[in-house]
Amino acid sequence: MDLREDSVGDITVLEVKGRIDSTTAPTFGEKLTGTLATPDKRLVLDLRQLEYISSAGFRVLLLAAKRAEEAGSRFVLCSISGKVRQLFDLGGFLDLFSISASREEGIAALR
Amino acid sequence: MRKPVGIIYGVNDVPPVGVTLLSGLQHVGIISIILVFPLLVAREAGLSRDRTLDVLSLSMLVLGIGTILQALPRGAVGAHFLCPPVFTAAYLSPSMLAVKTGGLSLVLGMTAFGGLVEVALSRALHRLRPYFPSEISGFVVLMIGVAVGSLGLRNVLALGTAEPASGLHLTVATITVGTMVGLNVWTQGAPRLFCALIGMGIGYVVAAGAGIVTAADLAAVQAAPPLRVPGVAHLGWSFDVGSAIPFVVAALATPIRTMGDITICQKMNDAEWVRPNMRSLSGGVLANGLTNIGAGVLGTVGVSTYTSSVGLSGATRVTSRLVAYAIGGTFFLLAFLPKLSAFLVSMPRPVVGAALLFSATFIFVNGLQIITSRMLDARRVFAIGLSFMVGIALDLYPAFFAGVPPAFQPLVSSSLVLGTLSALLLNLLFRLGTRRTQRLLVDREQSDPTKIEEFMEAQGAAWGARRDVIDRAKFNLTQSVETIVEGYALQGALEIEASFDEFNLDLRVSYAGAPLELPDRRPSNEEIIESEEGQRRLAGFLLRRYADRVQATHKAGRSTILFHFDH
Repeated sequence: MDLREDSVGDITVLEVKGRIDSTTAPTFGEKLTGTLATPDKRLVLDLRQLEYISSAGFRVLLLAAKRAEEAGSRFVLCSISGKVRQLFDLGGFLDLFSISASREEGIAALR
Repeated sequence: MRKPVGIIYGVNDVPPVGVTLLSGLQHVGIISIILVFPLLVAREAGLSRDRTLDVLSLSMLVLGIGTILQALPRGAVGAHFLCPPVFTAAYLSPSMLAVKTGGLSLVLGMTAFGGLVEVALSRALHRLRPYFPSEISGFVVLMIGVAVGSLGLRNVLALGTAEPASGLHLTVATITVGTMVGLNVWTQGAPRLFCALIGMGIGYVVAAGAGIVTAADLAAVQAAPPLRVPGVAHLGWSFDVGSAIPFVVAALATPIRTMGDITICQKMNDAEWVRPNMRSLSGGVLANGLTNIGAGVLGTVGVSTYTSSVGLSGATRVTSRLVAYAIGGTFFLLAFLPKLSAFLVSMPRPVVGAALLFSATFIFVNGLQIITSRMLDARRVFAIGLSFMVGIALDLYPAFFAGVPPAFQPLVSSSLVLGTLSALLLNLLFRLGTRRTQRLLVDREQSDPTKIEEFMEAQGAAWGARRDVIDRAKFNLTQSVETIVEGYALQGALEIEASFDEFNLDLRVSYAGAPLELPDRRPSNEEIIESEEGQRRLAGFLLRRYADRVQATHKAGRSTILFHFDH
């Protein structure tokens, strides 16, 4: 798994490439919850290049949502497609998170 | 069967009467192009003008019967789709041989015999299924598109005639195909539904205006009576063992096209189509065999289903069974109206070519879609790629195949037949060494998800499985191994076994340890967040939901999970 961080104004964009499974989830979780722990942080999580996500990855996302709520931060997922989207749907996660079609739409949603 | 979004009137829909009749007429126009085959045999037999008219009229009756048989809504006979027949080159070649050795009666007797062979073959078709995987069906459809397109180009370019195509011919063809495509792409309603009919009409008028249709061309139309009951004086039947081989070969080659055409019909009418329906294919081959028995009895040459008509249905998005009945009815009428029949037969070559090109494009793309719906390993790539080259060689270098003995000429009658035979033989050869069940051992200390995915990818390609099913299988394997290694396995390696046939993909994961929990209720967000146990239950829930069937058992300290996927 590769993580790439960009900034668009005061919005952070975190792009995930590869797999989020039990091996990579701790690193991913540390980065995500660490960023969202900053009060009033706004973050777009770009999943365009995500190839696989297991239950460990979903747990990290739920934990991040909880941390964000506690810190008053906001985050949006974007560019979820294909088999990854199918897993979000199966697990009932599509309605749990704010999801945008593209990175640009995600940024616009946080402004 | 769920009607695809793009289809306006599906096979079971009832279009308005006007749409039904005009759609039927549109098909009759494109089918009549090939009425020249029985005329060629009648001329070779030296029949008089009146007897030739009888052959033409009875040929119309046969086409009407065949169209209705294919479209019957239920029962063993027919593909149950709008899939009209037309006279085929596969039977033309042996018929031209037979007419020289035994006259028209031998052609008719042997055509009926060919029909009987097709009927017998239709009853055994389901046993041939393993030798006819989906990508080969797609290849057949692709080659049909190539064959029809090639025939269209020959007509547009006037190849094989004394005079090559002039600028005027090319202009007429361009206007005709341009009208059809333009109406199909940029209009709605009636202009789109009847784009082929309008295109052919405009092409005919432009060709007449440009002097391509001459008075000599229309002489046969003028000479034909407006109304006439067809005679049967030319009928007679004989059988010759020596002529049997070419007709048997034709009877074996014809179902290849029939199955390809019906496969397109099935796919066109079902948004959830994943593989050819063998019952419909058998019924279609049976209907074609019965039509060929009828062709022999009623005094004309052999037929096969007509790809251009299927392509026209797809392009106009009207596939209703009622259109088949309208086509059948129109042919019955035309059988008694020789002047109109002769007019249809005299359609100018550039217009004929344009109509064939129009329908070939749709068929070609359908073939590509069917091929690429499956994962392909090197064996399958070679079977399809090499066979395409072999088939196309016939169109590119026909002189090379001219020396094939007459008895085997039907095998090289078209790039479709030759290419398909090559694909079937290579598929048979490449089945050697392909195992239906494969195993993989995963060390719990060094489990690498990439290796598990590569295992499933390689197997999917070797089996020619659907990409979407293999993707689901990959997830279930990696997620289950991840979960077992993290929380369930006690010792030793995990054993994965994957088994496949065309309808089922079964994965078996066994290991020494406690059974994996596969709940049918999703754990709450709090349960997932608060403990790893919640995360594992989420994994079990996803695994259960993603497979079509799951089963977990535990015996003597060893657990086994079975994931079943419908294919």
